[in-house]
Amino acid sequence: MKNKSMFKRVDNVTGYVLLAPWLVGFVGMWLIPAFISIYYSFTNFNLLNTPEFVGFANYVRAFTQDKTFVKALTVTFLYVLALVPLRLIFALFVAMLLNKKHKCLGLYRTLYYVPSIIGGSIAVSIVWKQIFGNKGVVMTLLSLVGIEQKTSFLGNPKTALAVIVLMGVWQFGSSMLIFLSALKQIPNSLYESAMVDGSGQVNTFFKITLPMLTPTIFFNLILQIINGFRVFTESYVITDGGPLDSTLSYVLYLYRRAFTYFDMGYSCALAWILVAIIAVFTVIIFKTQNNWVYYESEGK
Amino acid sequence: MKKSMKRLTALGMAAAMALSMTGCGGKTEDTATAGSTDTTAAGNGGTAESAGEPVTLKITWWGGQSRHDYTQKLLDVYTESHPNVTFEAIPSGWDGYFEKLATQAASGSMPDIVQMDYLYISTYAKNDSLADLQPYIDDGTIDVSGIDENLLNSGKIDGKMNGLVLTSSYAAMGYNPDVLTEAGVEMPDSSWTWDDFSDICKTVKDKTGKYGSLAYGVVDDTNLFKYWVRQYGTELFAEDNKSLGYEDDQVYVDYLNMWNGLIEAGAVPNPDEHAQIQALGQEAGPVVTGDGAFIFEWNNYASKMSGVNAGLKEVTPPQKADSDSKGLWMKPGMFFSVAETSTVKKEAAEFIDWFINSEEVNDIIMAERGTPVSADIRDYMVNSGKLTDQQKAMFEAVNADQALCGTTPAPDPAGISEVNEAFKNTAYEVFYGQTTPEEAAARFRTQADEILARNNE
Amino acid sequence: MGMHTKRKVNSVLFHVGACVLGFFMIYPLIWLLASSFKSNGTMFLDTYSLIPKEWDAAANYASGFSGVGGVPFSTFFFNSLFVTVVGSAGCVITSLFAAYALSRIRFRFAGFWFGCVMLTMMIPPQVMVVPQYIILKKIGLIDTRTALVLPWFFGGAFFIFLMVQFFRGIPRELDEAAEIDGCSKFGILFRILIPIVKPAIVTSSIFAFYWTWQDFFQPLIFMNSTKKFTIPLALNMYLDPNSYNNYGGLFAMSVISLLPVVIFFIIFQRYLVDGIAMDGIKG
Repeated sequence: MKNKSMFKRVDNVTGYVLLAPWLVGFVGMWLIPAFISIYYSFTNFNLLNTPEFVGFANYVRAFTQDKTFVKALTVTFLYVLALVPLRLIFALFVAMLLNKKHKCLGLYRTLYYVPSIIGGSIAVSIVWKQIFGNKGVVMTLLSLVGIEQKTSFLGNPKTALAVIVLMGVWQFGSSMLIFLSALKQIPNSLYESAMVDGSGQVNTFFKITLPMLTPTIFFNLILQIINGFRVFTESYVITDGGPLDSTLSYVLYLYRRAFTYFDMGYSCALAWILVAIIAVFTVIIFKTQNNWVYYESEGK
Repeated sequence: MKKSMKRLTALGMAAAMALSMTGCGGKTEDTATAGSTDTTAAGNGGTAESAGEPVTLKITWWGGQSRHDYTQKLLDVYTESHPNVTFEAIPSGWDGYFEKLATQAASGSMPDIVQMDYLYISTYAKNDSLADLQPYIDDGTIDVSGIDENLLNSGKIDGKMNGLVLTSSYAAMGYNPDVLTEAGVEMPDSSWTWDDFSDICKTVKDKTGKYGSLAYGVVDDTNLFKYWVRQYGTELFAEDNKSLGYEDDQVYVDYLNMWNGLIEAGAVPNPDEHAQIQALGQEAGPVVTGDGAFIFEWNNYASKMSGVNAGLKEVTPPQKADSDSKGLWMKPGMFFSVAETSTVKKEAAEFIDWFINSEEVNDIIMAERGTPVSADIRDYMVNSGKLTDQQKAMFEAVNADQALCGTTPAPDPAGISEVNEAFKNTAYEVFYGQTTPEEAAARFRTQADEILARNNE
Repeated sequence: MGMHTKRKVNSVLFHVGACVLGFFMIYPLIWLLASSFKSNGTMFLDTYSLIPKEWDAAANYASGFSGVGGVPFSTFFFNSLFVTVVGSAGCVITSLFAAYALSRIRFRFAGFWFGCVMLTMMIPPQVMVVPQYIILKKIGLIDTRTALVLPWFFGGAFFIFLMVQFFRGIPRELDEAAEIDGCSKFGILFRILIPIVKPAIVTSSIFAFYWTWQDFFQPLIFMNSTKKFTIPLALNMYLDPNSYNNYGGLFAMSVISLLPVVIFFIIFQRYLVDGIAMDGIKG
């Protein structure tokens, strides 16, 4: 091997030594359990019985008989579709603002991160119902300006999901933090040379900031889609899937199937259907990254 | 890997059943107690524990802060008088309790003594996860003489005593007397009918603008509906648990019409308002705060809420006017079950006996878990003078209201949680005006029959 | 001067906007704090008020700190602290190594393993918990502190992916130059790359700290003994929807449990300062 670049050289030993701790956990805590749960998905396992093999019955049942499955899947798709762009744009916007030189930036960062750390606590649940529920702040304000509504946003099957999405946007702190750390990594020299070239603010954003951010945008996009499909806490804590299943997320449904309805085999089948769906989306986005994600290391 | 695991569990269970234990299943401790745990030998000796070798009882329960504190204390007290018995306590909040229990059961490591809920006992029983306690009742290890037989048998599923009932409750209407006085209506007594109830609710709404009744629990689960169905002289579930027990959908239609009418009149909160009320917890409910008259609850309601409003009262739920079927029944509050995989069943049974019948125990519990099942204990508690007024009233009412109770229905079938969900959704569709009561009733039947058939084959 | 005024107006607008947004963000926390001061009897009578009708802060905090099931709250606190400090440190280090390997070292099946990292993020953990329990039981780790910490030592897909993305943003010429200077692979990581991806490491640490701190479902299933419980498990024990609850104590301890996370964040976010390392290299 006489390659000039070290990156052409294969270094299996170092690679696997570095990867080893993760690899052990992957096999022990993920791969084996994953195989077991795939096995369950082909059985009538109800947590208490000895599983009996039922072939593809669980998968067939999901696609042919289970209306709630379709409902939960629809709800989850809508949620992802609405939440991901909204949260990312908002997070990026705030991160840009906080990246300027201002006083009290640390304070603002902390304030904006708070929703992400109180997550799904009772406090959040009560406060959100207080704002969007019946006789809540929003309804009161609307009636003050003359808009009377029969049901609240949370109580109306048509709008409840929107409130859940809004709550997801409210918890934009994590995405913001990731954008912020990416912004910090952009070398000042790039901005300096742009200034020397007399480039305007908007121009600088599109010529320098945005391209340099694409790996992070890509990361956040993938992550938000994965987590969006796996949404659980929000609908569990705020609405418990209601009213009329209008906020019944896919994972909440499979959780109920597993532990409330003692239907673990079916629940595992649902889980692997979800994995397949998420995987398809992830692979598609990964395929597109050559077109829009700029990696310094590849010098595209 | 999984298969061998399951086989191991099955083996362990089979061995446990056949030999009633000889230390299989890879447990390291307590293999030495084999002698005293023979289920077939009617020991009847009574004082087996004094001669007992050291055993460890794993016990799990759900509850709030105070229950954890006093239960832990109880275990210490028991160990004092039974030095050979030590406990491994596995307490939990309600959230996650049954998830954890199911996981433990799935891996063959269910704790020896399990606090069990009515909602789940059938499922565990059907899968042979729970030990039959009948032998311990027969040999006198567990004294059930103070327990109403109907109530005791609520733990009996497929001919096995799967759990020993600890507490009982029955449906009751809690009410706020001040609100009724303000509306100028008489306090109800146990002879009132559903028509009386509707009228009072509407009067309260008209006179005071407050809620006549809260719908909490009315459609969120099937408990009140079960009472309703029983007044038609039939049961909610068929005897084989494979379908609904009532034949005429009109039963459900009537139920929906009554509540829907009250909701439309503004006398009962609509689902939207209901969600908001529920969000704040019972302590802030309109009946407690004086913004509503009635709430469908259990007979411990007034006692439970006495910390926030000491003036609340309760009455048995309304009757169907043209029927003398007794709808009311004694509902088991919670059970102690023993795991089939347990190797210390006899010791577990002795502990349960102590828990139910000991005055010392009940002095510590002070009815926090609900009304004790043993009539002797209830008498003792009333006479001890330690009870609050609300608790005393509750205990005394039990004896009187027992006359209104009909036969205890069979325990809720496996799949009940799913049936409840279907019930709730069909009712809400009516309340949201998305469907007619007739359609909802028909759809509920289709869904419930499918769920019941699938879970009880 | 006009330019100066405009800048000042902008700055004021920024701060007003930031504060208004900040208020919405932090409102539930304020509510929680206020509720932890209210007496149990009146708490839900003036639910929406931020000013307690009847103060009972001392009793709430005292009853909260008294703990549950005979175990004082401080025990839960230190359990959590132990798990969080050890677990999140282990998590970040393992993830850093894995990310470095996956992004900057060529080895067989690297692409496949990266795919596996992504896959682990996709499965809902709810269906994994039963098999995981069985495995932990087999190796005798149920109800041990190891079971709380160990999973974090295996790293996390989120962190690996995050750091891979950051590593890929660094020009490879850097590594090559270092290697020509005689730097080993580990030397490159520690001397060259870590200083550059410091913001990513800080961010990861913040997330890891919070996630280990609030981890609930798996510890709930894996742990039995109250004295080994972490704060989220303990708080869950304060509550039983079917009986009268000590909400005051619960809210008080919720406030206490949020403090370390907030403090950790306040300290660590300071390190999110401008990246400097790459200046002068590029160009």
